[in-house]
Amino acid sequence: MIDVRNMTKKYGKLAANDNINLSVGRGELAVLLGPNGAGKSTLIKSVCGLLRFQGAITIDGYENHTVEAKRLLGYVPEFPVLYPMLTVAEHLEFIAKAYRLEAWKEKGEALLRRFELDDKKMKLGKELSKGMQQKVSVCCALLPQPKAVIMDEPLVGLDPHGIRELKAVIAKLRDSGCALLVSTHMIESVEEDWDVTYIMVNGRIARVCRRTDLAPGQSLEDVYFTITEGKGQEDKP
Amino acid sequence: MNSLVFLLAKSAKNTLLELRRKPAKLALWVLVIAGIGGVFLLSLFTGQSEAGSLDLVWLKGILFLLILLFVVIAIQKGLANGDVIFDMNDVNLLFVSPVSSRLILMYGIVRMAKTAFLAGFFILFQSNSLSTVFGVGFDAVLLVLLGFMLAVGVLQILSLLIYSLTNGKPGRKLAVRVLAVAVFLPLLVYTGVQLAGTGDLLPALENTLRSPLAAWTPVAGWASAGAVSLISGDTGSGFLFFGLLVLSGALLILYIALSNPDYYEDVLVATETAFERKRVLAEGQINPEASSAKKVKVVKTGIGGLGPSAIFYKHLRESFRANRLGLWGVSSVILVLGAALFSLFQRGGDGRILILLQILMWMQIFMIGTGRGLKELYIHYIYLIPESSFRKIVWSNLEIVFKVLVESLAVFGIAGLIMKEPFGLVAAAIAVYTLFSFLLLGINYLSLRWTGADISAGLLVFIYTIAVIVIMLPGLIAAIVLGSMVEGTGVLIGLGVLALWELLAALGCFALSKGVLHNSDMPVLRTGK
Repeated sequence: MIDVRNMTKKYGKLAANDNINLSVGRGELAVLLGPNGAGKSTLIKSVCGLLRFQGAITIDGYENHTVEAKRLLGYVPEFPVLYPMLTVAEHLEFIAKAYRLEAWKEKGEALLRRFELDDKKMKLGKELSKGMQQKVSVCCALLPQPKAVIMDEPLVGLDPHGIRELKAVIAKLRDSGCALLVSTHMIESVEEDWDVTYIMVNGRIARVCRRTDLAPGQSLEDVYFTITEGKGQEDKP
Repeated sequence: MNSLVFLLAKSAKNTLLELRRKPAKLALWVLVIAGIGGVFLLSLFTGQSEAGSLDLVWLKGILFLLILLFVVIAIQKGLANGDVIFDMNDVNLLFVSPVSSRLILMYGIVRMAKTAFLAGFFILFQSNSLSTVFGVGFDAVLLVLLGFMLAVGVLQILSLLIYSLTNGKPGRKLAVRVLAVAVFLPLLVYTGVQLAGTGDLLPALENTLRSPLAAWTPVAGWASAGAVSLISGDTGSGFLFFGLLVLSGALLILYIALSNPDYYEDVLVATETAFERKRVLAEGQINPEASSAKKVKVVKTGIGGLGPSAIFYKHLRESFRANRLGLWGVSSVILVLGAALFSLFQRGGDGRILILLQILMWMQIFMIGTGRGLKELYIHYIYLIPESSFRKIVWSNLEIVFKVLVESLAVFGIAGLIMKEPFGLVAAAIAVYTLFSFLLLGINYLSLRWTGADISAGLLVFIYTIAVIVIMLPGLIAAIVLGSMVEGTGVLIGLGVLALWELLAALGCFALSKGVLHNSDMPVLRTGK
């Protein structure tokens, strides 16, 4: 569903992403791990069509800048940016109208209830705390019922209830056949549900690890530190 | 002490070294310095124009008003959060270090001088205007800058002191407000008396500015009188008033340092507020409404439109919620009133509406960025909406085009009536102004498309400004040439040609910037956080 082929993103001479290859299938949860500055956010923004790049990125076979690809894509950015003068309900209404969604109200209500925002519907974007803004951002991304969801550090700023709900939502999306690419530093938060992990170091994918690749007793955290602290051998994807 | 000197020296050195790694920034600085040098050389060769020069008392008045504006801002800041003299890294690293808080205060004040200099940077470019209007040279510009910098420096310390003394004390805040008014009250009364005596505003203002009362008014009076005294050769008075500024600044610092060594808490709120504003900007929230403390009442709700038009209806909802006049906020009212006031002074001459048009077009170059359409580019939603890039951009900018059209109808309609300009000329001015805004939008997108938005905001603004001048030049030349070939209706024809050029150039810019949402990086405001 999400296919990245030979993708490179440079800022001047610096290659923030260097020849990245990555794919996430339907019903698959791909986790993007890596230290600060590894290039995770750059990769995610490129996949969402927010940055220029060399190489090819497709969503269900459509080039990622096409209208067809955008219709399939949901994006939760690293920093939630809401419109300060719109209410929570109007954010969802705007997305619904812009995406030409039908019968969206019930879905919107359900999302707001799930993230305990149903009593905040009339609050303006600027009146919300960062955690609340993050929840609205998630609701906006999920309202069009995307088939490919990309989340950049989605758990940062959420309260325990929000974290629990978002983890449940991610699991449900995966079970419903959605392709998910999630970047995070909280390895333990994805330990239960991940299918494939891409570990990035210095703009390159240093290791692709499938759940089945783990040795008995080995955790994702073990794999991560082996790669990032230079104790393991690099596997080319 | 050594650590603070090290910090200052190392920061200055690294700032210079950074220019080696950022050639675009270096080029910008070279251009700015060359510009100042050029202005200086020009002032040497052109000399000082004596004929038709205005009296220096008006220069004093302009400087007084400019600094008065900073006085008001400093008092407001002092009553709210205090002024920003430290960065967050100072708070995190210096405040907790075993360095004397008084020395740290001195360090903050030395760094603050840089802010004062940058605030007065624009004065350096006024050499030609000052020479033409007041018959003074580049040395006068430097003296005006010195007066301005001293005043701004004193006001920054004053702001810190006001915050320190009034924080959480409503009684003291009221006292500061009363005192601030009381300081300027004698001057106001004196102007009123003069106005009653002369019956004319200009002589009354001139008498007030020549009075010792104006010169002895704190900060604004001292700085303006000091600069003008030195320019006119009265060094005694000049040194006296500049000396007063330096002395008052030193006394304020001394008072803070001796009375309140534990001032950290007082500067913390302003520093944190400034840091938070930068952080929010860097995260993509460039809408000033996000950090506004103004209470907003939600009455009507809902978003109209479908597909890309939803962006336009969203803008309408946001604008009408932000202020009652909707798209036309306080800035529009000021624009219309300012133009009307200008027209009152310009009555009687032929084609004076063209001067107004020229001024407003210059302002529009920088005002166009205040529209919601261009701000939309900093947030991810517009990129992800599954519609064509072109249609999204058109609907996204409809709000600013509509706003400018109505503004120009009001501005030039009222100005035309006051100046008794012919209808054709007013209509042509409206067309040129509105289409110029359309062109500016096109140039903005073209600048983004061409640079890929992969440069700093400052450089992007620089490239955009150069692009505006280059793109407008052929139209202006054609307008002047064709307009001068026809007697009588030449101005109208010239404006018509210019309007047509703006339309064609705008369409060209939009065509060349096709696919800007796909071919540019989503811009990020680099705040230097």
